[in-house]
Amino acid sequence: MATATDLKGLADRAVKEISSAADEAALEAVRVRYLSRKDGLITAATKEIATLPAAEKPGYGKAVNEAKQRVESALEERGRALREGAIAKSLSETADLTLPPRRVRVGHMHPIARTIREITRILGSMGFESVEGPEVEYDYYSFEALNIPRDHPARDKFNSFWIANPLGDPTDRRVGLRPHTSPMQIRVMEKRKPPVRVVVPGRCYRFEATDATHESIFFQYEGLAIDEQISMADLKGVLYSFARQLFGGERKVRFRPDYFPFTEPSAEIAFDCFVCDGSGTTNKGRCATCGGSGWIEAAGCGMVHPEALRRVDYDPSKYQGFAFGGGVERLAMLLTGTPDIRLFHENDMRYLESV
Amino acid sequence: MPSLRVPYSWLREYVQAPATVDEIAARLHMAGMEVDRVERVGGAWGDKVRVARIQKLEKHPNADKLQLATVEFGAAQPKTVVTGATNIAAGDVVPYGELGAEYVDGHTGERVVMKPKNMRGITSEGMILSAKELGLGEDHDGIMQLAKSLTVGVLLQDAIGDAVIVMEIAPNRPDALSILGIAREVAALYNVKLTEPRAAELPGKLDPSLLTIRIEDDRACPRFAAAYLEGIRIEPSPDWMQRRLVAAGMRPITNIVDITNYVMLEIGQPLHAYDATMLRGRVLVARKAKRGERLRTLDSKDRALRPEDLVIADGERALGLAGVMGGEDSEIRPNTTTVALEAASFEPLGIRRSSDAHGLQGSSGSAAARRFGLDLSPALVSLALARAVSLMGEHAGGRLIGSTDVYPHPRDRAHVRLRGSDVPRVLGASIASAESADALRRLGFDVQVADDTIDTYAPAFRTDIGIAEDIVEEVARIVGYDRIPTRLPFGPLPAHERHPLDVFRERVRDVLVGFGLQDTISYAAIDPAWLTKLTADGSPLAPEPLRITNPTTVSQSVMRPTLRASLLDTASRNLRHREGVGFFEISPVYLPRKAELPEERWTVGILLAGQAEPVHEGETWLTSPRSWDLHDLRGITIGLRDAVGAGPVKGALQRGGPGLHPGRSLRIESDGRVVAVGGQLDPRVAAMWELPEHATFVAEFELAHLLSETPAHPSAVMPSRYPAAIREIAIVVDEARPYGEVEQAITEAAKGVAESVALRDLYRGPQVGAGKKSFAVRVVLRSATGTLSEEDVEKALKRIQGRLERGLGASLRS
Ligand SMILES: [Zn+2]
Repeated sequence: MATATDLKGLADRAVKEISSAADEAALEAVRVRYLSRKDGLITAATKEIATLPAAEKPGYGKAVNEAKQRVESALEERGRALREGAIAKSLSETADLTLPPRRVRVGHMHPIARTIREITRILGSMGFESVEGPEVEYDYYSFEALNIPRDHPARDKFNSFWIANPLGDPTDRRVGLRPHTSPMQIRVMEKRKPPVRVVVPGRCYRFEATDATHESIFFQYEGLAIDEQISMADLKGVLYSFARQLFGGERKVRFRPDYFPFTEPSAEIAFDCFVCDGSGTTNKGRCATCGGSGWIEAAGCGMVHPEALRRVDYDPSKYQGFAFGGGVERLAMLLTGTPDIRLFHENDMRYLESV
Repeated sequence: MPSLRVPYSWLREYVQAPATVDEIAARLHMAGMEVDRVERVGGAWGDKVRVARIQKLEKHPNADKLQLATVEFGAAQPKTVVTGATNIAAGDVVPYGELGAEYVDGHTGERVVMKPKNMRGITSEGMILSAKELGLGEDHDGIMQLAKSLTVGVLLQDAIGDAVIVMEIAPNRPDALSILGIAREVAALYNVKLTEPRAAELPGKLDPSLLTIRIEDDRACPRFAAAYLEGIRIEPSPDWMQRRLVAAGMRPITNIVDITNYVMLEIGQPLHAYDATMLRGRVLVARKAKRGERLRTLDSKDRALRPEDLVIADGERALGLAGVMGGEDSEIRPNTTTVALEAASFEPLGIRRSSDAHGLQGSSGSAAARRFGLDLSPALVSLALARAVSLMGEHAGGRLIGSTDVYPHPRDRAHVRLRGSDVPRVLGASIASAESADALRRLGFDVQVADDTIDTYAPAFRTDIGIAEDIVEEVARIVGYDRIPTRLPFGPLPAHERHPLDVFRERVRDVLVGFGLQDTISYAAIDPAWLTKLTADGSPLAPEPLRITNPTTVSQSVMRPTLRASLLDTASRNLRHREGVGFFEISPVYLPRKAELPEERWTVGILLAGQAEPVHEGETWLTSPRSWDLHDLRGITIGLRDAVGAGPVKGALQRGGPGLHPGRSLRIESDGRVVAVGGQLDPRVAAMWELPEHATFVAEFELAHLLSETPAHPSAVMPSRYPAAIREIAIVVDEARPYGEVEQAITEAAKGVAESVALRDLYRGPQVGAGKKSFAVRVVLRSATGTLSEEDVEKALKRIQGRLERGLGASLRS
């Protein structure tokens, strides 16, 4: 059995080891040696108290406690000093923050998907609900219901792809790939009663040669608003607001007459070119973005033709409204500076990761 | 849209607006007459090309085919140029370009700058130029002859320079597809006077022994007029006319043909001139082609006519495809002296069908067919005929003998009555009836305004007017769209009910982008050959696709019934320039249905191939390179389910997916079809696409199916506030035993207290023996209702042990 003197010696030794512990791990080793619940040297002494005669217990117990407290407070003090030292050392260090980081894999939304989301968000805020419809479409919806009967000269603008179904085509109904999102005007109006306010994004197809600004497979957005008093002024207001929200602040908007068989009156909307600020020239000469006109044509629009309204059993003497449609790629090209429309479908990761 | 070139000098003959050509072009554009650009004729000539006179012409001393021309052009000293041209004589007035002038090389067609050139020992001091070299047309046969009246020495640009407004005319405005039509627009826009072109008086009488006109089908040919002229001299048309034709994009031929073209450009009405002596039976008939009838057209093609084709015939045979193309038999010849001049009106649909059927549509078709294919007003017939007769008198010696005009059912001018309130109703702009009426009168409408109604009568040449909205648009064009105010729609908002699938699709997109995968969009139409490269034996993986009957290219000729091919193609092309890819596409696939529109089934496709790490290629300082593996793909698909809040899989989970590695893939079947597949791409398929055989992974699933597995809203779990007991167990099982059964056994055995089970390690080796494997598993036990006692924990572990040993034949190691 250890004496009180032995205990003091034990504590002295522990304190000495504590003060020379170089780091927190060494300190922990000392703590374990002396105070571990299982076999610490001082713990062992504590356990002996129970075996002593009653008279010796208080004296010995006190000595054990003193030793234990001395060691514990030395541990705490040394521990604090070590931590403070470590913090001070850490604070004095600098890291090379130009080293490449631990990389996170980053995905990017496709610019078309992002532009469509932006279009539907902006128009959604003006009460236009986003709806989608079939890409493989009846001739009736793509043309006839839109006041473009077969052999109409305006069909030249909408050269279509036609579809053969291996299971057989619907009787007498010509099926093709929609050349615009406008068929959804008819489909929506067939299903709903006014007021109607929808925006339709989606894939379209035209039989044409591809180049830097034309694709035979592309995306359009279509807006439609029908109510009792919707006028050209509302159309202008919606498109102006759309342009400002999409391109920001002071975008100038030009509204000029145009021709579409399914709207009357018809108009074309253009934004002033944000590359040359509408001047048509840059310091490199003629502005390539707008072709030197200073304007970027963004959408065709107009008041829905009464014939189209009649076809869906809307009374044209009671209801009127507007429709507009434009190319998603056109907007995406402008927003991202994408120089060639074919990049959107090429899926070159180097391009997609940049936009 | 049909295009039109409007030489400014020509336009000014009919209307003189107080504005520059650029201002006029801009104003037209803003009034819906689309201007593509304004071209400067002679803009490139600058101050280096002048009007010159050939003082004398001598033979080149060293070359038979060259001449030396001494030209005066206003400078103190005349210059001598070497020329190979043979169409010149002393005294001719010609264009002369000094050194440094820009011209078009006659052989290459390229713009070049004139440099000193030694020709057989003599250095040419500049050049005298052909029309082609001046950029005025294709004629390179000789030096361009200028009018002798021009002042020698003035800049050619000032003498004959011009501007051409290049326009696109809407197909509903064939009346505006002419110089006069544009002049009418300019006159209306600037409210200035229009000067109509000079036209002859037509007697309306013609001796039937000379020529008779007959219409056999007055629906297909509502009007047919003709003039009979004698004393015609065939020669080149006057310079000014040739220049205008060239500026407007047509090639001058001879005076008679040029005049018909000139009048067509001027008024919009095509004409046709016949050598009258070639007309058998002295008749011109508009009739349908006879069965088996043939015609050799001006393009030297023998054509079998269809019974639906309208032809112009004489007493014996078809002379031309009416409104589309004339025939060779009756064309004007160099010795023609008597001309029958036809001006007729045709039903546009028939013209379009005929020109389509004979391959003469679009740009390959004739200028006449392009115009007749639109709803050209029959009112233009008499005007054009009278104008052409007048020009043939002036420039071809033509004496008018008589004229005739068959027009059985004259077309009424369009009458539209609208309410005074219609204009503000449609435009949302306050425009009074009086102002509307004024705008319309400027456009040539007759207008009567009563209390609440406006009666409008369109000019006879306008065929596009039919409803009130047409009138509103005319008013808006003239007062300007700027007059329309901007405001936002008011009134009740329609109910918002966006389709749940669209919303879900965007949620899935966000999650996958968040996982670091790249969003892609590829062509919806693909090469059918791709579909035979999706399984090792080439058997189809998807239903037979919809076929595009008129594809632009075979590589986009069927609608894709699966995303697989597009994914593999995208991966393959990208792996040519990078080590690894991870991307996805969300698009519909197109599945044929019997006798209805195909199903457009929204599908999510994910592809991982090649290297997964490092993310930044080559950057290994914090990571070691590794390839994508099956567990990456599983992590992404299971993580997606977690992120969108999908519940348990609906459907039967089966091993093996089509086109995938049979042992390393899964499919989910539901409603009798595969709704999801995922796994390693069959290495044989990977090889066909030049993809890494052992590191290409694909998942595809129907968006709607995932949505059906996903509750609209997640249900909350209340975290337990009591402490956990964490235990590690090593479980040795047979090699064939899947881990999932082990985890399931643990969870079920300790139901209510097994909060989570984590696989810490999978060990195979001598410590467990052959045919065995060991899972080191961490189990977190926790109760929602109280602190677990040591005893509770022991009991739960005993239950787990019992279940594993008895149920799975496992042994637990400490
Ligand atoms: Zn620009």
